[in-house]
Amino acid sequence: MAFLQSALNFMGRLNTPKLRHRGILTEMSFRYGQSYPAPGNYPTQHPPPGGQAPPGAPYGGGMPPGGAYGQYRGSAPPGYAPYGGAAPPGGQYAGGPAPGAPHGAYGPPGSGGHFGGGGGAPGAPYGGAAPPGANFGGQAPGAPYGGYGQPQGGPYGQQAPAGNIPPGVNPEAFQWFQSVDSDHSGSISMKELKQALVNSNSTAFTDETCLMMMNMFDKTRSGRMDLFGFSALWSFLQQWRNMFQQFDRDRSGSISGNELHQALGQMGYNLSPQFTESLVRQFSGRGVPGAMQLDRFIQVCTQLQSMTQAFREKDTGMTGSVRMSYEDFLTSAILRLV
Amino acid sequence: MAYHNQYRPPQYNNAPPDQGFLWNIFQRVDKDRSGSISDSELQQALSNGTWTPFNPVTVRSIISMFDRDNKGGVNFNEFAGVWKYITDWQNIFRTYDRDNSGFIDKNELKQALTGFGEQCYRLSDQFYGTLIEKFDRQRKGQVAFDDFIQCCIVLQRLTDVFRRYDTDQDGWIQVSYEQYLSMVFNVV
Repeated sequence: MAFLQSALNFMGRLNTPKLRHRGILTEMSFRYGQSYPAPGNYPTQHPPPGGQAPPGAPYGGGMPPGGAYGQYRGSAPPGYAPYGGAAPPGGQYAGGPAPGAPHGAYGPPGSGGHFGGGGGAPGAPYGGAAPPGANFGGQAPGAPYGGYGQPQGGPYGQQAPAGNIPPGVNPEAFQWFQSVDSDHSGSISMKELKQALVNSNSTAFTDETCLMMMNMFDKTRSGRMDLFGFSALWSFLQQWRNMFQQFDRDRSGSISGNELHQALGQMGYNLSPQFTESLVRQFSGRGVPGAMQLDRFIQVCTQLQSMTQAFREKDTGMTGSVRMSYEDFLTSAILRLV
Repeated sequence: MAYHNQYRPPQYNNAPPDQGFLWNIFQRVDKDRSGSISDSELQQALSNGTWTPFNPVTVRSIISMFDRDNKGGVNFNEFAGVWKYITDWQNIFRTYDRDNSGFIDKNELKQALTGFGEQCYRLSDQFYGTLIEKFDRQRKGQVAFDDFIQCCIVLQRLTDVFRRYDTDQDGWIQVSYEQYLSMVFNVV
């Protein structure tokens, strides 16, 4: 059961190859399972890696979970850290039931031919049963993705449609890349990305969130994401999804103001309930006030971290208040936001 | 001291385009005949003067500016606003792209951004350098038309929110952590 609970179900409804060639859209959803992992292994109950607020600091803002994204963002020079290094720091995932293992039911059996496995064992290899994540977790405790770079490694490698997986690319991300890249152009457009990402209430990820992620992982700034970027995005999404599920304490599939307040508190941010409430108001879905979906949660947390960093740089005296000129403000926001 | 003219394109005194003309364009852009122009339809219809696709972020910004009920596209009435917005920026851009290269460099950008406002806060040369660096998707040290629009949109939003906090209009604000976050989240 534990495996099922932690499994992240990537439900794929893939059209037959014939239809695909005729340009019918492939639909792939990143969904959660019905159940959530047991709470309790939330990473930053340990000190947030590298980001503890100094004692007495008026605001917090530890590193984000996983911390991986820091490598892709902000004013870092282009050509950021190699994607392969996106393994989250710390051992927070080690030992758990392969958290973040994105396996689980791979969509309707029989449609799985896309994966090259030909549905030889429909649903069986991944779904529920000891997920292949066990491989990774086992061989690299504390660095769940550490084992991913090995081409042909593990059950996925044999089924890899196109043979060699470049070093540093998560094999599962490699395979999903093929289906998300529905026009087989070798890179993922905004449209393709948006079609692939779905919240638990079946709404597509918002354009803003997709754009943000595209900007973070499109290192060529071409508006398209290559395989390496997609692989990094894959890890990023899994980390945030795990967080989201743990903070969604009533398992409603969305985050309430109260849940967000607790979540941000645990991440090290010192924000008033009014402020977090206003965030939920601003970023809750259409027609569902007070309920933040996964896409917005990712967007809010990512930007919060970046902006906190910007503020902290200005607040050298740690007073919680800064004086800034017009140009200071523009510069800090532009460097962080775009 | 007055703020910059909010980085909005100046209003040209062109006669508004004839409805039939616009309708013609609308129908050609609305490829799936849905009655609404989506991001990708608008993107395909726009050219940045180079052989690269129009910046999707700019497209999204423009559509969200005119998409009143948040439906993900613009209908014919809203499209009139989109059309005017883009052609106004195009006029500006052409004025400053003196050699017709399709790009404007740092000095031209500075002139373009200060030229059409009344007065503005002085921004340093370094700041314009930052803008180029941040918005120049093609890595040419200059910005193309689509990136230029995006740059202006972002500046406009940030300036609007800054102004709300700068009640004495002296170009400085004192803000708390949460105020700062609200300012920037409002621009997102």
